[in-house]
Amino acid sequence: MIAGQQKRAVNRLESRKLMRPLVDKMYIEGVQAALEGKPVAWCMFNWWKGDPILRAMEVTPVYPENYGTVCAAVGAAQEYLGISDAEGFPTHLCGYGRNCLGYAAKMVDEGQVPSQAPIGGMAKPTLMMGSSGLCDARYKWFQALRRYWDVPVWVLEFPHPGPNEIFLEGTIDNSVRYMAAELKEFVNFLERLLGKKMDWDRLRELLNNQEQVLQVWWETNELRKAIPGPMHARDFWTIMAPCLYGATEKESLEGYKRVFQEVRARVDAGIGAVAQERYRLMFAELPPWHSLGFFDKLAERGWNFVIESMGYHPPPPLELGGSNDPLERIARWTLWFFVSSSLHARKRDYPLVAGAQPYLTWAREYKLDGLLLHPLLTCRTGTFWLGRTTNVLRDQMDVPSLIVEGDIVDLTVFDESRALSQATAFEETMEHYREVRKKRGV
Amino acid sequence: MIQASAKGLDHARQVCRNREAAARQSKAEGRKLMGYLCSYPPLEMITAVDFVPFRLLGDVAEPVTRADAYLASIICPFLRSALDLGLKERYDFLDGFLGTHVCDCGEKFCHLWNYYLPSQYHHFIDIPHLVHEASFDFLKGGLELFQSTLEDYAGWPMSRERLKDEIRAHNQQRALVRELYELRQVDPPLLSGAENLEIMVALMSIPIEDGCELLREVIAEVKERQDGPQKKAARLLLWGSPLTDAGLIELIEGLDGNVVMDDICIGSRHFWPDVELTEDPLDGIARRYLAELKCPRTFRETTESYAKDQEVRFGYLGDYARDWSVNGVIMQSVRYCDTHGYEVPALKDYLDGIGLPNLYLEHEYTMIALAPLRTRVQAFLEMMECS
Repeated sequence: MIAGQQKRAVNRLESRKLMRPLVDKMYIEGVQAALEGKPVAWCMFNWWKGDPILRAMEVTPVYPENYGTVCAAVGAAQEYLGISDAEGFPTHLCGYGRNCLGYAAKMVDEGQVPSQAPIGGMAKPTLMMGSSGLCDARYKWFQALRRYWDVPVWVLEFPHPGPNEIFLEGTIDNSVRYMAAELKEFVNFLERLLGKKMDWDRLRELLNNQEQVLQVWWETNELRKAIPGPMHARDFWTIMAPCLYGATEKESLEGYKRVFQEVRARVDAGIGAVAQERYRLMFAELPPWHSLGFFDKLAERGWNFVIESMGYHPPPPLELGGSNDPLERIARWTLWFFVSSSLHARKRDYPLVAGAQPYLTWAREYKLDGLLLHPLLTCRTGTFWLGRTTNVLRDQMDVPSLIVEGDIVDLTVFDESRALSQATAFEETMEHYREVRKKRGV
Repeated sequence: MIQASAKGLDHARQVCRNREAAARQSKAEGRKLMGYLCSYPPLEMITAVDFVPFRLLGDVAEPVTRADAYLASIICPFLRSALDLGLKERYDFLDGFLGTHVCDCGEKFCHLWNYYLPSQYHHFIDIPHLVHEASFDFLKGGLELFQSTLEDYAGWPMSRERLKDEIRAHNQQRALVRELYELRQVDPPLLSGAENLEIMVALMSIPIEDGCELLREVIAEVKERQDGPQKKAARLLLWGSPLTDAGLIELIEGLDGNVVMDDICIGSRHFWPDVELTEDPLDGIARRYLAELKCPRTFRETTESYAKDQEVRFGYLGDYARDWSVNGVIMQSVRYCDTHGYEVPALKDYLDGIGLPNLYLEHEYTMIALAPLRTRVQAFLEMMECS
C-alpha cells in the first residue's frame, strides 16, 4: 500500500481497471465516427440483440442510457434534467431519458456537442435504435427525441410472454419466429438507409465473440456464490458495461477472461470482497450512480453485496435449441434472457413466483441474509416487483429486505444519512431471520 | 342501488356508480364474468364463450391502503387503485381474468393480479408494440393460443360463425357509441362530457346486449331532451390516460367549457374502430386491436420528417377537432404514466401547429387532487377567450 493511502472497505478487483477504458473508448469512437462522416446510432441497451447487427454494418453505437450513469456520476445530470423539465417532459419520466432529452435539447441549441459534456459527449446520431424490452421508456424516449433529431427510429421488438404462458406449447416458437422476422426487417432497414449490404460472415464472427463474453461473464458471476463473496456489486457495476454495450468486441472478451481469472483466484484463496463478511446481500435493482460511496460505508460494517441488478446480468448458457441462421440465433439468445429464470425454476422444482423469480433463486443459491431494495422515483420497471420480492423472500425464504428510496440520476431524492441510520436496525433483523432459518434447518 | 325501472341516462348513471352491483346482478342471473384491463383484450372472443367482459377500473374515492404492500407509490395510481379494490374483494365476483401487454406496468399488473387474486381462468396475451406484418402474425398466433385455452375452459369449441356473430354484436355497440358521440357535434352539445363518461363506464360493466339497449335508450332520450348542456365559449377535446370518474370533466364543465370530444380509453379510444369481418375472424381481430386502436403504447413507424410523424401519430385528433368544432384541447394524465408522459411535448407541437390552444394537466387519481387543477383550467379558458 502506498504510504498515506487508506485501505478501502471494498476490496476492488484489479481487473476492473481494464474495463472502464472500454466504455470511454465507446464514446470516443462515436465522436470520431461522426467527425469522419460515418454512421452513428444512439441505442438503447438491447440485450445483445441489435448491437451485433449494427457493428456488422459498420455503424458505431452510442448508448444514452449509459451516458445517463456517466452524467450522474460526475454531477452533470442536474443541468440536463432541468432542461428536460423546461421542454415540457413530465418530471416523473426515466432519469436517464430526461438526462438525454435535456442533453439533446442543449445540443440543438448550441449547434454542437454541449460544452463541458462529460467524456466528450455523444455525437449527433444517424439513426436511433430503441427497444420494446422491459420498459416503455426504451421506445417512447427515442420517439420523443424526434423533436431534436430528424433521423429515423427503429424499435427492436421484444416479446413478453406471461410467466404461465411460456410453458404453453407454441409460445416460445412464436416469439422466436417473430423476433427473427423483425430482425430481418431491421437488416433491410439498415441496408436501405446506409446503401450497403449486410456482411453475414462478419455478423457470425461478432456473434461468436458475444456468446463467449456472455459465457465467461456468467461463469464469473456463478463464482460469486462462494463464501466469502469474492466480488462486490460495485465491481459488477463497473465491469458490466462492456458486456452490455460491447460484447461483440475482442477486447471485451479478453477483459472478461482476466476478471474471471482474478475472481477464480480469490475463490481458491478464500479472499472476500469485504474484509469481514458479516452479511451477504443482494441489491435490487439500479443503484444511485451519484452516491456509490454509500456502499463503502456499508462494507465497513461487513455488508457484502454478492449479487445485484438482475436486468444487467448475462443469461445462463442457452437451452432454447440452436439454429444456423444468425438472426434466429440472436432471437433465441435474447428471448432466453427473459425466460430462463422461470424455465430453470421449474426444472429445479423451485416455486414459481412470476416477477420475483430471479430474486428467489438468487436468495437460495447465493445464500443471502438480506436484500437492499432501491425503489426509483423515475423508474417503474426497476421498481414494480420490489414490493412483491420483499413479500416473497420474507414469506418463502425468511430473508428480510431494507428499502431505501432514491433515483438513478437525480441525487436530490437520495438521503444517504437516513439510509445509513437504518443499518443497525436492519442488522438486527438479519440476525433474527438467521436464527429463524437455522431453526427451520435452512 | 340500481332501480329496475331506471332507463336511459338515469340507468347509465346508476350502473356507473354501482358497477359492482351490476356485475353481481349478472352473476346472479347465472352469467360468468371475465375481468380485463385496458382496451386491448379482444372482447369478441370473451363473449364467444359466454363470458360477460367486465373492465377493471380503480376508484378515485377509495384511498389506496391494501395495495401499498405490493406496489410502490411511483407505480401508476390507476393500477394501484384497481389492485387495491381487488384486494378488498370488490371484484370477487370475477370468474376469470384476461390480461394483455398494454404497457409495462399494465403487463406486470396482470401477473401480480393473477398471483394474489387467482381465478378459475387466467390468460395473458402478449400484444406487440409494432405494426408490421410479422406483428400481425405474432398476435394471431397469440390469439389462437388464447382461443385454445378458452375452449378448454369452456368445454366446447369456438366456431368461426359464433365468433363472427360476436364481432357483429360488438361492432353494433361501437356504431351506437359513435352515434352517441355525434350528439355532441352540435353547439351546444346535447350531452355533457361528464354524462358521456358515465355511459362509457356503464358499458364496460354490463353484458354487450344490455349495453346496446342502454345506448338506444340514451340516444333517444338525449335527442329529445330540453335540459342539455348550456352553450359555452370553449368546445374542448379531452386527451389522455384512463379517466374513470367524471370529477375532472365536471370541474371543466363547471367553468366556461364543454367537453365535446375525447381521446381516452374510457371513451372513444376504446370503442371507435370496428373489427373487419374477415374470413378467418382472428385476422380482423388482430388488425383492429393492433393497428386501429390509437394508444401511445403502440409505436408507429417514423417517416421522413418529424412533421409527418406527428400527422401519423396525431392526425386523427385533427379530424376530431374539425368534426366536433373543437377550439381547445386539455391533455390529462395520471402521474407516473410513461406512455402518455413522453407523448406530451410532441402532441403539444402538433396542436400548436394546427392552431389549437392546449393545456397539460397531471393528477394523482384521487378526488382531492382535482381541486388545485381548477385554477389552471380557469386560466386556460380565460386565455382561450382572449386569444
